[in-house]
Amino acid sequence: MLAAPRRGTRAAGARVLVALAQFAAVSVIVFAMTSLLPGDAAEIVLGRDATPEQVATLRTQLGLDRPLPERFADWVGGLLHGDLGRSLVTGQPVAAEVGGRLGQTALLTGLALIMLVPLALGAGVLAGRRPGSPVDRALTGVLVAAQAVPEFALGLVLVAVFSLQLGWLPATAAGGAFTGAEVLVLPVVVLVTNHLGRLARQIRVGVLDTDRAEHVVHLRRLGLPERVVLWRHVLPGAALPSIQQLARIVDSMLGGVVVVEALFALPGVGSGFVDAVSARDLPVVQGYALLYAATTIGVNLVADLVSARLLPHREVLG
Amino acid sequence: MSAATVGARARRARPGAGVAIGLVLVAVPLLSALLGPFLVGPLGLVAPTGTDALLPPGSGFVLGTDALGRDVLGLALTGGTTVVGLTLGALACAYAVGMPLGLVLAATGRRGLEGLALRALDVLLVLPSLLVLLVLAATGRRGIGWLVLAVALVQLPSVVRLVRSAAAAPTQRPALEAMTMSGEPWWRVHLLESGRAVLGPVLVDAGTRAVLVLSLLASANFLGVGLAPDSTDWAVVIEQNTSSLFLAPASLLVPASLLVALCAGINLLVDRRLDRDGGAL
Repeated sequence: MLAAPRRGTRAAGARVLVALAQFAAVSVIVFAMTSLLPGDAAEIVLGRDATPEQVATLRTQLGLDRPLPERFADWVGGLLHGDLGRSLVTGQPVAAEVGGRLGQTALLTGLALIMLVPLALGAGVLAGRRPGSPVDRALTGVLVAAQAVPEFALGLVLVAVFSLQLGWLPATAAGGAFTGAEVLVLPVVVLVTNHLGRLARQIRVGVLDTDRAEHVVHLRRLGLPERVVLWRHVLPGAALPSIQQLARIVDSMLGGVVVVEALFALPGVGSGFVDAVSARDLPVVQGYALLYAATTIGVNLVADLVSARLLPHREVLG
Repeated sequence: MSAATVGARARRARPGAGVAIGLVLVAVPLLSALLGPFLVGPLGLVAPTGTDALLPPGSGFVLGTDALGRDVLGLALTGGTTVVGLTLGALACAYAVGMPLGLVLAATGRRGLEGLALRALDVLLVLPSLLVLLVLAATGRRGIGWLVLAVALVQLPSVVRLVRSAAAAPTQRPALEAMTMSGEPWWRVHLLESGRAVLGPVLVDAGTRAVLVLSLLASANFLGVGLAPDSTDWAVVIEQNTSSLFLAPASLLVPASLLVALCAGINLLVDRRLDRDGGAL
């Protein structure tokens, strides 16, 4: 295709626009979900036994006495300047409240991803090179079963074995600040176990297909060492389609982080979200919701752009 | 050994262990969910009010009592009903709306309209499912109705996409065109006939989706943003007992193991089924 590079740039630009439109749409949904309530937001936040004065004060504080379009315009204006209002519980700016917890969650997800990718590659290659062998069947079976289990149930079983029975690892991070790396072992294991199956199986299928591809068979016939064939030719072809899968994994890992942080009492974005929900701290809930949506949109955007660049013949962006 | 023989050997060896393990894993939690509520009364598994909390197993209660003084075995037998019921309810809602929508989209000749509808649904795809449930709970909208509706809603985009692409498959066209030409009404051609054709893919999809939905509902209940705290749902019971892991491990581990077995079992069975279908192609 002669005009390929230009067409590629234009497609990438269009994909970025789609992402921006998605974020705009999601912001409207988040605002609508937290503003168009059956009843009064102030009453919902304060609960049933609030005095009328308390409700009136909170109404003014939340700006509920002003018309909806005006509130929305204000909210969008604040959003564009990174100002999402203040927490109803602590009075801190929402951005600081949410931002202060990012590090912990980034560390947890980062560690999980660093362990996940090589493990998935290893398992995928091991299973894909000998399809139907006992190793393949055992690996696939275990991975399929593990990927279905809800994070909190898996986490509990692991805590029961490694903290309760064997006493090797702490059950939660509660009762003391972040003491050491051992607090993160079980959370990372839960996140990795849950997502290993999906990625490993995608790589297994990729290896299976590429291993039989004409050019790979030809390279073997030419007498190239098996190591070179595997690392240089089979693996790249098998792993590239998994980039999309990896984006979906990061996505669902963000949901898993909410559960894992709540279970192990880790002070990250996920547990902050749950705390804000139970305190009905609506501005902070909005902040977390937008952060989650923006991350999802961003991760998918990057995955689409990267796979479009690496696999131009597949119309990823179309 | 050539690739073909390896494949053939793999297919012959497949049914067996995996399916058997899957069936056992599914049967235990499913039976306790379906029959459990009828057994609790006759077997006397309801602890009278005022029973001590956190009694060890064997002290008049086979598995002991939980943090609220309830019989753990009784809870295990009653808690599966909502797990299975809500999952089926949410799936039914998602397909009841998603199937007609997908079929109509596949049948409209207007590509612009189709694209617009799909893009609108895609906005839902970028909303992480748990986020929707958390925001709903933060604004006081919780309980069975909201839970089922919200979970069904976040499944909708992928259900519509699946139905639409299955109904628009080129293999479908000649039969539908012949029916249209012989004067059959539009709804009969595009809703009934197409609907029958997509039933196979939809059933397989429902199996995979069941695990997703089950896991999402359980996570919401565990986080305390789903069912009311007085429910005996497995995940709610686990949430209420998280702080008694060291004192009464059974109150957490029994419901957790039942959930683990159910999810792992369904996924194993669906996977074997997909494998078989894939092998037959």
